[in-house]
Amino acid sequence: MTEKKHSPKSSPCVQITGMGIVSAIGHNIAEFTRSLADGKSGVRRIARSTTPPLAVAIGAEIDGFNFEQMLGQFSDMPESLTQSVQHVTRRAPFTIQTSVISALQAWRQARLDDKPIEPERIGLVIAGHNTTQNYQYSLCSDFQRNPEYLSPRYALQFMDSNQIGVLSEIFNIRGEGFVTGGASASGNVGVIHGARLIQAGLVDACLVVGVVADLSPMEIQGFCTIGAMGGKQFHDQPEKACRPFDALHEGFIYGQASACLVLESGDSANARKAPGLANILGGAINLHATASAQPDIDGETKAMNAALQQSGLAACEIDYLNTHGSSSPLGDKVEIQAIEQVFGDHFPRVRLNATKGLTGHCLYSAGVVEIIATVVQMQQGFIHPNINLENPINATANFCGATAVSQPIHSAMSNSFGFGGINTSIVLQKIPADTDF
Amino acid sequence: MSNTRTKAQVFDVVKNNILDILPKVQPEMVSIEKSLSDLGANSVDRMEVVTLSMEDLGVKIPLLSFAGVTNIEGLVDVLFNNAQ
Repeated sequence: MTEKKHSPKSSPCVQITGMGIVSAIGHNIAEFTRSLADGKSGVRRIARSTTPPLAVAIGAEIDGFNFEQMLGQFSDMPESLTQSVQHVTRRAPFTIQTSVISALQAWRQARLDDKPIEPERIGLVIAGHNTTQNYQYSLCSDFQRNPEYLSPRYALQFMDSNQIGVLSEIFNIRGEGFVTGGASASGNVGVIHGARLIQAGLVDACLVVGVVADLSPMEIQGFCTIGAMGGKQFHDQPEKACRPFDALHEGFIYGQASACLVLESGDSANARKAPGLANILGGAINLHATASAQPDIDGETKAMNAALQQSGLAACEIDYLNTHGSSSPLGDKVEIQAIEQVFGDHFPRVRLNATKGLTGHCLYSAGVVEIIATVVQMQQGFIHPNINLENPINATANFCGATAVSQPIHSAMSNSFGFGGINTSIVLQKIPADTDF
Repeated sequence: MSNTRTKAQVFDVVKNNILDILPKVQPEMVSIEKSLSDLGANSVDRMEVVTLSMEDLGVKIPLLSFAGVTNIEGLVDVLFNNAQ
């Protein structure tokens, strides 16, 4: 295994040992990786009809998700586990079903099925809040007509914490578990708190699940009215609407993904001989004290610097940065300025891309999606393209162009920023594939 | 329409909902003298069989009416008597 080169507080090394994803550009890690390498975007016209119609009907929604079919792919799963999954999940909302599938993928990649950890030593972090908006919205008109027919399950299902109950029952997780929220930074907030559970010695492994942001027409309308959402200029060319760091960016394009990581202490992974995929060297969260949606260069700079400091790496050792890059004119501008400030002379050399250009903005799960994107690029040595970046807003920045490039990545950073002044950054380090396992 | 349903049809509605909610249960396991608990239903599962069956039958019955029900037959009776 790779030696960890930093250890400021001699806290346990945290590794990623499992990953899973259900997204608009892939229903598993292999498909997702191929889409990143090919620059395949999930952004298209949204087909679902709603009442009232969506204010912006462009997005990267999960297409063709069939829970029973996806569950069938885990054919070698014990029958008792399949039945338990079906019992708690078959009639559950979309956001639960997608979480279960991405979690099953990650759980199995981490070999937690055949090389188990004591249930009390596994934690569960649900990254994302207000995850039942569209579920509630879709029940509302029936409820107004026939309140008597409301399912008793609603009392469980309208709460974000239902994800904790469902996933802990399926995987028999009995350590600490909770929901983390941080608007569009929720994913990173969840990963950072999952890593802290391990660093504090409370658990040996932690499942972190970034939940699909299943938005109803009301949330889409709200994002549109506040001026955060794009899709106007390119309303007739949906594939061009999401353009992080391009001069014609005009707001985020909605995306859907459920994404899951298994985090684990290096000692536990070694003892189980579970191959580590990447080390999490640092992660920082700060606030810039605002009730607004405005980004802040100081907050973003501080988050990146704090994550770097924890990692023990110098800025010049970061090969690649997965930006927050949401295609928001002000957000992109402030982020690139902050990156320039943090990286100084190294700024023209650090490779940049924005995964949201392909996945859309997955809101709560974006941080987890982008850590997965970072890890697969590190593992396979490429930088995925920025397909709509025609006129970059910064001429010095080392953005990847319209096609992927091969490049070894040893260390990387991933940013996520959220409404309410929430700034986060995470530093990751590659673990070379080890043939001993 | 509800007034043309037979008791057997009401039982079929209940049975379909049981099978839908409890994936471990095979059709031949569902018989009128069994309780939902016998089939592995928890309290939420039991209430869901009730609400789904009411909806399928187009009837609205106060939940108190199900208080004395001890098996599937009792459930079918309450639904049947209110579906007339």
